[in-house]
Amino acid sequence: MEQTLQVLNDLERAGAISRYAIGGAMGAMFYVEPVLTFDLDVFVVLPQTRGGLLTLEPLYEALRARGYREEDECVNIEGVPVQFLPAYNALLEEALAEARETQYEATPTRVLRPEHLLAIALQTGRDKDRERVRLLREQARLDHNYLTGVLARHKLDDKWNQWKS
Amino acid sequence: MEPMEILSPEVARLLVAKEARRHKLAGLPFPDKVRAVVRLQWMVAPLLRARGRRVRVWKIEEPAARRQA
Repeated sequence: MEQTLQVLNDLERAGAISRYAIGGAMGAMFYVEPVLTFDLDVFVVLPQTRGGLLTLEPLYEALRARGYREEDECVNIEGVPVQFLPAYNALLEEALAEARETQYEATPTRVLRPEHLLAIALQTGRDKDRERVRLLREQARLDHNYLTGVLARHKLDDKWNQWKS
Repeated sequence: MEPMEILSPEVARLLVAKEARRHKLAGLPFPDKVRAVVRLQWMVAPLLRARGRRVRVWKIEEPAARRQA
């Protein structure tokens, strides 16, 4: 896992991605109990392409050049299947911009804030997102003022009120 | 699940202890949580594969996970 994060840091330094942060189940796990998952979801801001097209292809090229291959929707990086998800909306862009700097053993990395993980789960809205919202509510130390701002900015307050009740 | 007030004191105590353990797990250092996830993957993968789901257990240096496998 540490080697995987070192590769992500290297990709960021090399400009293959502008910024990354861990999200999904592993991101939530920074704040809640361990839960079963088989992928490492990594949200990325991609460098601007000439045509303004949002594509992961240059990132996959950079990974192939380092010897890492795609496996279905993931890329296996040092034994960990990593799924790259480009920031495709305003909530994800904000979440990436405000992600927390942290350490995994001796390696620096970034993880989405719990308030953004909760908002993303609300926005995505699947059954497993409900469970993530429940865990974050019960176990993460949420900054409720900050969360209120995120939910209002991204028009998620109604859904939050529905899911809370 | 029955409301807490009509459970026997013993069951109520067990449920409280279970909740406390989950909060303790939530407070573990992140690398310890990753080790726990890999152990879960080792345990669950054969069941999921038997149901036809394709899953990949992480091949990372997690000696504790290997011992459990």
